[in-house]
Amino acid sequence: MNLYELRGLKQVFDDRTVLHIEHMALSQGGGHALLGPNGCGKTTLLHILAFLKPPAAGQVLFRGRLVDWREKSLRRLRRQVVLVEQHPIMFTTTVLKNVEYGLRMRGIHRRERRRIAEECLERVGMRQFASRPAHTLSGGENQRVAIARALACGPEVLLFDEPTAGVDVENQAAIETIIRDLRREKGITVIFSTHKRLEAAKLGENKIFLFEGKVSGPGGENLLSGNVVRRGGRTLCMIGEKFEVDVGVPIRTIMTRKEALESGILVGDEVKVAFEAGAAQIRPRDF
Amino acid sequence: MLWSLDPELYFIVYVSLHVSFFSTLVASALGVPLGFLIAVKEFQGKRLVITLLNTLLALPTVVIGLFVYAFLSRRGLLGSLGMLYTPWAIVVGQVILILPWVTTFTLAAVSRIDVRYRRTAMTLGAGPLQTSLAIAREARFGILAAVIAAFGRVIAEIGIAMMLGGNIKGFTRTMTTAMALEHNKGEFVLAVALGVVLLTVSLVLNTLLQLLQGRYGVNR
Repeated sequence: MNLYELRGLKQVFDDRTVLHIEHMALSQGGGHALLGPNGCGKTTLLHILAFLKPPAAGQVLFRGRLVDWREKSLRRLRRQVVLVEQHPIMFTTTVLKNVEYGLRMRGIHRRERRRIAEECLERVGMRQFASRPAHTLSGGENQRVAIARALACGPEVLLFDEPTAGVDVENQAAIETIIRDLRREKGITVIFSTHKRLEAAKLGENKIFLFEGKVSGPGGENLLSGNVVRRGGRTLCMIGEKFEVDVGVPIRTIMTRKEALESGILVGDEVKVAFEAGAAQIRPRDF
Repeated sequence: MLWSLDPELYFIVYVSLHVSFFSTLVASALGVPLGFLIAVKEFQGKRLVITLLNTLLALPTVVIGLFVYAFLSRRGLLGSLGMLYTPWAIVVGQVILILPWVTTFTLAAVSRIDVRYRRTAMTLGAGPLQTSLAIAREARFGILAAVIAAFGRVIAEIGIAMMLGGNIKGFTRTMTTAMALEHNKGEFVLAVALGVVLLTVSLVLNTLLQLLQGRYGVNR
């Protein structure tokens, strides 16, 4: 059984569709990387997966059961899934009390709360910061405490929104190690968004590439670089030496060197071509 | 006069503090949750409500005095309660005066709180009430400042105290009404002594707020 299954999911902000996923399934126990450029809908998707924001349309199934977006039933689901934000915010109290917060919400006794919180801080190498005011931490320390805070809740699924964004190299490595260890030792399902392909490869075996709110392909392998050329009276996009695409067929282009796409693709432009997953067909040249 | 423990002066100070305390208490009990709700809930006409509240900040004390007088006077709707020219009549008027203050400043304090606090509390398993408490905790200094500002407003207010309290010696005479009276009589000593007390109360309250912010605040 899939952990998550999304069907016909749509999210709309100010009459603009920011996410439209026909179908997506995420298995349990795995590491799932959400890749894609800024504004492609990664964070929006994570908020839906964390049960923080209901979609405008579509269905979300969690462990095979349809998610009821009424507040009452969401609380039970939220206690199984924790989101660590890109720039986590700390409550204005000590590091230890921040880590204890989720446990307090679950009515755990004070002594037990402290033991679990200290254990989680130890795990992320932040035990010595326990009594420090949380808002005095650096970016990397903040991220590690946020992981400890999420971990203290004993989640089955951990969602990370760009876990190493804006973090120094040393902390980046530490955070990646923590996430890998969590998956290996506790079997926690990890779903994370990232810009970095290397990080995606290190932390997740399943890669989902989002582009303009849609799943564009498994891992973005269908995103190819090419050059726009004029040949035999036709405008073509040359990909490598042998593969050519007529400019004018329904392809989507992104990331031009010049921002000339709004007015049309110019000969000489270097472009990236994104194919709809499953929509591309390879046919003989003279077909 | 202050050091000679003049009983008249101390009773005036007591009435002022007593009336201001109760009006601030009632206005805070109503205004803090109201401001909080307006800040966190999205509803039709929210902008209109905020505009109305902002307008009410400029409500003159004499208008409130006249309005409440019409209700509490013997022939008024609530005349049978016999509240006119009692400290409670001043409390009613002052609550009307500072309720928009507490509500508006609470609204402003809560609106400034980062939306991530709400998401963080929710993802960590907090229910709606616990999430609201977490937000209120983050906005606590803003809310406290709203309450202190409201207290400062009522303790220095004269129109309502004069019109609804009647400036009755030993009963409804407050620091401000006494100061006005002494000034009219040409007796400046008591007026100045009361002015010193008024400023001291304000200083003590603000020092307390600063100490609290230093002890638990974000600058640490």
